[in-house]
Amino acid sequence: MQGMRDTVIDREWIVKKTLFVLAMTSVLGILLIIFFVARESVPALTEAGPANLFSATWDPASGRYGMLVFLAGTLATTAGGLLLGTPLAIGSALFLTQMAPRRTRSLFTMAVQLLAGVPSIVLGWLGFTVLVPWIRSASGSAGTGILAASMLLAVMIMPTITAITMDALQAVPESYKLASMGMGATRWQTLRRVVLPAAKPGIMVAVILGMGRAIGETMAVALVIGPSNAFPKSLTTPTHTLTTKIMMGMGESTGVQRSALFVMGLMLLIIAMTLILIVRRISRSQEFSR
Amino acid sequence: MHRTKAVLIAFASLAVAFLLVLTAVGCGESNGTTESEQELSGDLDLSGSTTVLPIAQEAADMFMERYQDVTVNVQGGGSSVGISNVAEGIVDIGNSSRGLKDDEKDLGLVDHEIALDVIAVIVNPDVPVGDLSSDQVKAIFTGTVTNWDQVGGPDETITVVVRDEASGTREMFDEKALAKEKPVSGAIECNSNGIVRQTVSSTPYSIGYISLGYLDSSVNTVSYNGVEASKETALAKTYPLSRFLHMFTAGEATGLAQAYIEFILSDTFQEEVVAEDYIPMTEL
Repeated sequence: MQGMRDTVIDREWIVKKTLFVLAMTSVLGILLIIFFVARESVPALTEAGPANLFSATWDPASGRYGMLVFLAGTLATTAGGLLLGTPLAIGSALFLTQMAPRRTRSLFTMAVQLLAGVPSIVLGWLGFTVLVPWIRSASGSAGTGILAASMLLAVMIMPTITAITMDALQAVPESYKLASMGMGATRWQTLRRVVLPAAKPGIMVAVILGMGRAIGETMAVALVIGPSNAFPKSLTTPTHTLTTKIMMGMGESTGVQRSALFVMGLMLLIIAMTLILIVRRISRSQEFSR
Repeated sequence: MHRTKAVLIAFASLAVAFLLVLTAVGCGESNGTTESEQELSGDLDLSGSTTVLPIAQEAADMFMERYQDVTVNVQGGGSSVGISNVAEGIVDIGNSSRGLKDDEKDLGLVDHEIALDVIAVIVNPDVPVGDLSSDQVKAIFTGTVTNWDQVGGPDETITVVVRDEASGTREMFDEKALAKEKPVSGAIECNSNGIVRQTVSSTPYSIGYISLGYLDSSVNTVSYNGVEASKETALAKTYPLSRFLHMFTAGEATGLAQAYIEFILSDTFQEEVVAEDYIPMTEL
């Protein structure tokens, strides 16, 4: 008897420790990533300095490593993607959870999930061969740039936002809706005054996660962004984003130039972490309110 | 429970696939010996200019076919990368489409010129301009001329397409065509000859420059000061936009690197492969 209990405890101990080590690897992973990216950023931060790095001129040949153009490109394409994608996604989620008959719902949900599974390079390639020529002939400019990138990003983040928004909407207790209907409110009034406000924190989380995806997206954007190292003159002229600049620059840079690319990576990391912190803050306040 | 099982099966099949790949690779290595010439073996790594890359790769394939125990890896990156890589000992040969800059001259690199390359100015087929003077080219690429009507074309804005900062082609173009001035900010920057061609062919009223070997019917060539870009005009020295392609080694080339470079400089390779796209050293 005594021996058996020992082996049970032993096994439990082993499982516990193994799981602990596995959990630690992800913690260690993120720490190592932050440490490495920060370390590689040091030469640019010390030799070029923040004033140089946060200027608008990228010209390594004359020692200028400004990333403002790329930062602006990232922010603009992300904002554009959200602007186009969020209404689409929230609209779909509302339709699918509140109005669609069950058959339509499962069909549409599957389509949205499939959309999430399209590899970004495929979308980018479509953007490059179909979207860009189309914008080009409509606008008479180069066709690549923020508009094309935003449209691709909208398609890419739409499934994420839709799925999480659907969860948030479905989590709204049925009793709220029934109460509202019982008071004589129409379906539209119930949706606008009861369901949407109740699901708001979840929808915000959905939008922020979509934003995170848009900021980090590289491949699809790279094919339709330009590229060019200058601020775009319009939504349809070439520019760059942080991710595309890193991707296209990494193979051919050394020394401070390479380090400047790491500073751009650090910027992306900081933005991503800030977004995650915001998401956590929202989810936590939601828990308290329940 | 059901799901755990599925996950387990997925992992198991992944593991099996991985093992299969490992064994396959192992087999490949052990079966490498044949009866052909076996005096050379080992790995040879090259990196650098994307202009040099196609010849280097073609030579690598032929070289590996002749010497079965040799593996030649050719990578791109741009001339600057090739030069810094070979100086740091990361690769055996650094490919470059430009000579050494002043700060690269004391790295102890030995230069092997392998071909003469000609750069052509190209425009989108909708541009009705067939000739530009060197002043006009400079004005367009540096941004003082921004509309085709300023150089005898239609009233359309010019889209300038250039190479990236690490490119030897850009280095040469900036030096010879732009008198070391910078190209206009806002120019589209492309990472290779092929992408410049693709971009110019698909962007209305655009202008760019590529290596002669990359020319095809998707873009129009513009003559420079009235001289057509061609091997003949470059050889006659009437067309100025040309430069040597280089392979750099750290110190004199020895062993594999030496054999590979000798292979590239051989009459057969120069006349049969290099001559297709560039001016072979044998004609100089």
